[in-house]
Amino acid sequence: MALILKIAWRNIQRHRGKSLVVGIIIFLGAMTMTIGNGVIAGMDRGLKENVIDRFTGDVVIISAKQDQDNVIFTPMGRDIEVIPGYEKVKKVLEGKKFIDRFLPVAKGLTIILNENGDMSYALALGVRFDEYRKMFSDSTDLVEGTLLKNDDRGILVSTGNRKRFFEEQNFWVIPEGFSFNEKNFMKESSKKSGVIDKRTSLVLMGGSNENSTMDIRVDVKGVMKFKHLDDFWNHFNIMDIESFREVYQYVTASDTAAVIPKEKKRILEKDNLDDLFGGEVLEKVETRKQGYDVSTLMGKKVVQKKLDVDSGAYNLIFVKLGKGADAEESVLELNAAFKSSGAEARAIIWRDAVGQIADLSAIMRGATRGFVFLIFIVAIIIIMNTLSMAALERVSEIGMMRAVGAHKSFISGMFLSEMTVISIIFGCAGIIAGIVSVYILNAINITTENRILELLFGGSVFRPVLGIFDILKGFAYLALVTLIATAYPLRVARRITPLDAIMRD
Amino acid sequence: MNIIEMKSIKKDYPLGETVVHALRGIDLDVEEGGFISIIGPSGSGKTTLLNIIGCIDIPSAGSVKIGGEEITSLDDRRLTNIRLFKVGFIFQTFNLIPVLNLLENVEFPLLLMKEGGLTKGEIRKRAQKCIEEVGLGSFMDHRPAELSGGQRQRVAIARALVTKPQIVLADEPTANLDSETGATILSLMKHLNETEKTTFVFSTHDSDVLKYASQVIKIRDGHIIDIDGPGAAKKMKKKAGPAKRGTR
Ligand SMILES: Nc1ncnc2c1ncn2[C@@H]1O[C@H](COP(=O)(O)OP(=O)(O)OP(=O)(O)O)[C@@H](O)[C@H]1O
Ligand SMILES: [Mg+2]
Repeated sequence: MALILKIAWRNIQRHRGKSLVVGIIIFLGAMTMTIGNGVIAGMDRGLKENVIDRFTGDVVIISAKQDQDNVIFTPMGRDIEVIPGYEKVKKVLEGKKFIDRFLPVAKGLTIILNENGDMSYALALGVRFDEYRKMFSDSTDLVEGTLLKNDDRGILVSTGNRKRFFEEQNFWVIPEGFSFNEKNFMKESSKKSGVIDKRTSLVLMGGSNENSTMDIRVDVKGVMKFKHLDDFWNHFNIMDIESFREVYQYVTASDTAAVIPKEKKRILEKDNLDDLFGGEVLEKVETRKQGYDVSTLMGKKVVQKKLDVDSGAYNLIFVKLGKGADAEESVLELNAAFKSSGAEARAIIWRDAVGQIADLSAIMRGATRGFVFLIFIVAIIIIMNTLSMAALERVSEIGMMRAVGAHKSFISGMFLSEMTVISIIFGCAGIIAGIVSVYILNAINITTENRILELLFGGSVFRPVLGIFDILKGFAYLALVTLIATAYPLRVARRITPLDAIMRD
Repeated sequence: MNIIEMKSIKKDYPLGETVVHALRGIDLDVEEGGFISIIGPSGSGKTTLLNIIGCIDIPSAGSVKIGGEEITSLDDRRLTNIRLFKVGFIFQTFNLIPVLNLLENVEFPLLLMKEGGLTKGEIRKRAQKCIEEVGLGSFMDHRPAELSGGQRQRVAIARALVTKPQIVLADEPTANLDSETGATILSLMKHLNETEKTTFVFSTHDSDVLKYASQVIKIRDGHIIDIDGPGAAKKMKKKAGPAKRGTR
């Protein structure tokens, strides 16, 4: 062994050029692989932080009637089914220890109207805002105005939607009670000149294609921006759940309680736009029970003093799991529990709920893996070639060793040792360089607004990470590449006979 | 005792559509301790014959016994062991491992003999002794590239002898050397043949060599046409049994 290593080491030095070529290839391969692993791990972490922790939770509960899992960005903004009997579902969720917290919401497409007949589309999330903040504390930045309180009526408009409304309908949204912020306007809007039509409330119509909806005017309380993956999330405005239900003609808690805080609501019947824009308020509450059986929605709590929002309708529940809980297992367990308790709900994993984001990120991950794989293949081919050539150049030497009594195993050992030494020196250097690069990439804080890059980054900041496991995996791949790349040249070298050496003379 | 026994050895090389008959039926017995020279014109089959004796080529037909062991049916591992333990080789050129110094080159076959039972110290001592015997005691730590052609051949002889093989084979060991150096190499070989009692079989074009040989085997077109020589003649008389002649 000592002899093999001695010969191997001296051969590396003797064939310095070739050793260096192979070494540099291994170095670059190991470095690329390490960075690639860091990017993928960072992307996974980013997606976890920016999708799971800031928007959907680990598990999403949908109605049992909902056939498409892809509920967040439904194609064409299609409606999703209401979860009937939320109370029952809630009970199941509250009974599960592996659940950290959950948030029922209503999600749908709204049409923003104006008196000229122009319209814009925006997704809306109807929530009790304090609850929302408890669940997703870190997901939005307030740009202007104030946040919502639990029982406030109002809407938070995303900067993305504000920009779209301005482009499509020529009005600039500012929060009620706040003045025009010129700096933000200059920053956000694409058109800078002309008279600016400023509005502090929006007229919304439910974008449902199945239920009849209602037009309501909602005050803009604030303008916000999603901290990460804003390009995706900014299609959402966040509004109070009661207003949402009115727009969508879901039975509201207010109906239940028969308390109508007049100053907060300005509800109009559909097709009464003139009144809406005229500012005249028609205090008329009409519950139309399209498709939903009031009793299933409301349970038995028909008469209550306090607004019991939960007795109204929701169509999504975001669920965050406790530490260590496995999402797939939790989904199975929840579905079993829903079934046995008769709750008409279904649990799905976050990935299925945000179909497009998950698909795109899977593509990005695949592309990154593919890139690393390609580098591997190229590295293997170059190394294989270089080593095969090295073997052929050393026919006389190897043949003479065989003639003098060296077994094939000695030749293999010599070749493998050479490759192993090169691979350890340059491969380790490459992995270390990769780790350093990952740290540097982390430190220089690369940010992006590009939605594709955001997916690759798993957020707006490029934060590749490397765990011990990723690093160990890197070493394993390095060993594998070394073995694969050496296999063929080794075969060539082992097949050299003493006769080959003599015939060369 | 015959250290080499060859019977009806044939060697064919396929060459495109045709076949080259390099050896056409060789019968040859070689006694232990001989200093045997194979001569013949270019292409007559000298190298082929030596390769078969040295277990680096296998005959197409016939049987070969080296030290009593039939080698024609052995696998690569066994053949390698015969090369390692029973045979020493001296090639025309490229005898040495370039990355090892002179001492390490001579130690090389001993280190390959895992079951040889020698300690590191013994290996070193034996290698040093062999190098001193070929007169290169002051070059132990030189690499082959730093030596002259004649010096390299001497190292090759030392390496061939260090394992105390039964036979040392040399294919035109002096062909790449000037005649004076060639003569010293040959007399060194002869000296070692006499002191160590090692059998030497070598091919040559050089007729000067004949005076050293105990036996001269003349071959042409793959046949042995004559076995003779001063040494051979003496020995034949002594032992009263002629070496087998090649059949024509
Ligand atoms: N590998 C081979 N393939 C084809 N033919 C071969 C091969 N090796 C040897 N021969 C042929 O076999 C014959 C004997 O060759 P060999 O090398 O034994 O001759 P030689 O006596 O050593 O000649 P030289 O004095 O030139 O070295 C020659 O005709 C040669 O062309
Ligand atoms: Mg020859």
